[in-house]
Amino acid sequence: MANSSILVVGGGISGITSAIEAAEMEVDVYLVESEPTLGGRVGQLRYYFPKLCPPTCGLEINYKRMKANPHLTIYTMTEVLEISGAPGSYKVKLKQNPRFVNDNCTCCGECEKVCEGERISRFDFGLGKTKAIYLPSPMAFPARYVLDKSALAPGDLEKIMSVCQYHAIDPDMKEEVFELEVGAIIWATGWQPYDATKIDNLGYGKFNNVITNMQVERMASPWGPTGGEIKRPSDGEVPTKVAFVQCAGSRDENHLPYCSYICCLASLKHSLYFAEKYPNTECTIFYIDIRTPGRYEKFLNRATNEAKIKFVKGKVAKIEEDPSTKDLLVTAEDTLSGRRVTERFNMVILALGMQPSTIGKTIPGLSLDENGFVVETDGIIPVGCAKKPLDVMTSNETATGAVLKALQVIKRA
Amino acid sequence: MAGHRIEGDLSAVKEIQSVGGDTVKKCYQCATCSSVCPLAPDEAPFPRKQMLLAQWGFREKLLSDPSVWLCHQCGDCTKYCPRNARPGDVLASLRIMVTKELLPFKFLNTFFNNLWGLPILILIAFAYIMLFTLFTFKGTPNFFDATSFPYNDEIHYKIGFMKLPARVVMIDLVFLSLAAFVIVLMANAVGKLWRTYLDYYKVPQAYRYGVGTILANYFIPALKEILDHSRFEKCGANSWRATPHKMLLFGFIILFITTGTVFILADFLGMHTPWNPFTHPVKWLGYIGGILLLYGVIGLITGRNRAELENSLKTSYSDSFLLWLILLVGITGFAIVVFRTVPVLYNLTGVAYLVHLITVFLLFLSVPYSKFSHLVFRTTAVTFDYYYKDVLKKMGS
Repeated sequence: MANSSILVVGGGISGITSAIEAAEMEVDVYLVESEPTLGGRVGQLRYYFPKLCPPTCGLEINYKRMKANPHLTIYTMTEVLEISGAPGSYKVKLKQNPRFVNDNCTCCGECEKVCEGERISRFDFGLGKTKAIYLPSPMAFPARYVLDKSALAPGDLEKIMSVCQYHAIDPDMKEEVFELEVGAIIWATGWQPYDATKIDNLGYGKFNNVITNMQVERMASPWGPTGGEIKRPSDGEVPTKVAFVQCAGSRDENHLPYCSYICCLASLKHSLYFAEKYPNTECTIFYIDIRTPGRYEKFLNRATNEAKIKFVKGKVAKIEEDPSTKDLLVTAEDTLSGRRVTERFNMVILALGMQPSTIGKTIPGLSLDENGFVVETDGIIPVGCAKKPLDVMTSNETATGAVLKALQVIKRA
Repeated sequence: MAGHRIEGDLSAVKEIQSVGGDTVKKCYQCATCSSVCPLAPDEAPFPRKQMLLAQWGFREKLLSDPSVWLCHQCGDCTKYCPRNARPGDVLASLRIMVTKELLPFKFLNTFFNNLWGLPILILIAFAYIMLFTLFTFKGTPNFFDATSFPYNDEIHYKIGFMKLPARVVMIDLVFLSLAAFVIVLMANAVGKLWRTYLDYYKVPQAYRYGVGTILANYFIPALKEILDHSRFEKCGANSWRATPHKMLLFGFIILFITTGTVFILADFLGMHTPWNPFTHPVKWLGYIGGILLLYGVIGLITGRNRAELENSLKTSYSDSFLLWLILLVGITGFAIVVFRTVPVLYNLTGVAYLVHLITVFLLFLSVPYSKFSHLVFRTTAVTFDYYYKDVLKKMGS
């Protein structure tokens, strides 16, 4: 009766790690991902911790292992609807959304050239646009285009179909609901940035030059919407004075009551991005406490030495815009001097906290805590940021650990 | 620094927590509050620092800090506080603690700020009023017969050229003694507070002016500001409070003028009350004062209920006590007029009169012992604010 296969939900760095580690134990693994490509949040970054590698570094070696493994089945654009059963014999109902591009696609890119309809890129957090038919990421895996039918301009469909010599475009694909039987489930759906417009005193969404940390990652990426330049959205100028607002949403009972673990390190990392490209740019980090867990304290030293950073101990609670220059006036109490300061900056970067992707979702069979993180039950093991806010390294540790637990569940059942 | 050990005062912390500051320990010093506060000055922002002082129970430091009084409990800090530490409400509790520090007979402060103390206070007020009633009315009057109490025409006292009925002598004895007590206490406390501020800010002797100079140069602008409620109106989350609070203040001022006029007209000029409720101009002045008072206090009570739903303001016992006491003063005041005028209710006038006197007694006594002390201490702090800014300017030039 017992089923010896494993379902991994979520194809970010944690899910990829769990899936390949399990599959290499010659267990049948299903990996499902809701986006059109694997890679998750790591795929959006310029550099990731601990060693500041570009995402190609960690992802490509795993993709290579995955391609070579016969025990792994990957479903993209697929979500879990419902889980029933018990450890050792779960029945999981899934839904696969249509990609409208079949596996004939070679990523030649001819379709994209002729397509006129555009859509705002979620991958770039609204900073750029893609065509209605697009490659979901520069290192998309599977390497296939995807079509957003709602973004097509009139006549686009005929044009892209006629230009595709591989007959890869299939506008009649339908949504599919199917079921998998598995013995254990590893839940790796990761995180999403908190909705910054909910923090009404920080001006995100009202002031152009208030941006989020993940938007910085996209701008800093050489394949990003600005080709690697971190510029002011208002006028495309490189900022010379940048403020980082720590705990934007995190450690705040009005928003996210927990610490998001990575945002202090992210801001330090971003200061290094500026130091690398624009050595004249001054960074000011407004913080409650700088949190650099474990050995990351060394990273704090590195950033302090290599980047131009001024630290102000005091949370920013007020941001105003100078309408003529679109500069920002940032107010905080410098608690070490006991004075309130209002300083002018060209750009403000919100060190936005992370929220589990499962927040607000109800999936029968999956239990969440009050903040939306997945709670571990016998055969359902959360890993990475679906479990709690973590960095890549620790996420991967939870991911490999979860494989052992999943194997135990299968063996015992 | 060597050998300097900081000692917290747990009893002070517990005291703060018991009078509405129960959330003080949640604060983690992020300073959101000081940034969003519309009233805090840049050079000495609050309430972040005061939260820390309160967590350690530093009575002396809190006593010597005018910021505690410059806070008007807008609630912006509470609304944005990431820990729900409610700095606005904590500062309200600090004001009660500082008030207790500044005044003798601390048990009265305890009675005023705890529900269990209420019956004791009512008994004190009742006993004090009864003592003088028995004395002036020469025995126990019939409280259910308005011609026996308060409008007894048989007993009069001749004091010099003045011929006063019993109830006037009773009221004068009760309230003049009470007012003297309150004024002496408060004057003493204000002096103490002012000296603490001077020492804390290390104001050089050359700039320590006499009372006359302070009153003329700094108290007058402070008073103007208070009448105008200009600080209060800067509040964000609870800006709705400024108008009803202003009306309440104006109500009190008008009622104060009314009472003073009655005192002079009746006691010295022999024009004894009750006066015609429809035609007498002083009566009308009283009505206007009473209506403003009721409008203000009802506005504050209903507004507070709304603010509680928005989580920007918490209403502690001390807050409710004062609001409901003022409401009762207003209602019983009007009740006397109505009972006296409507024949079938006429004989209830005595009871309404007695209840009114008790509430007014408690209101007087609450000035040194409840949050009502802000009437005096906030005025002192605002005056000091003007004074100190001027001293800084002069020292700088």
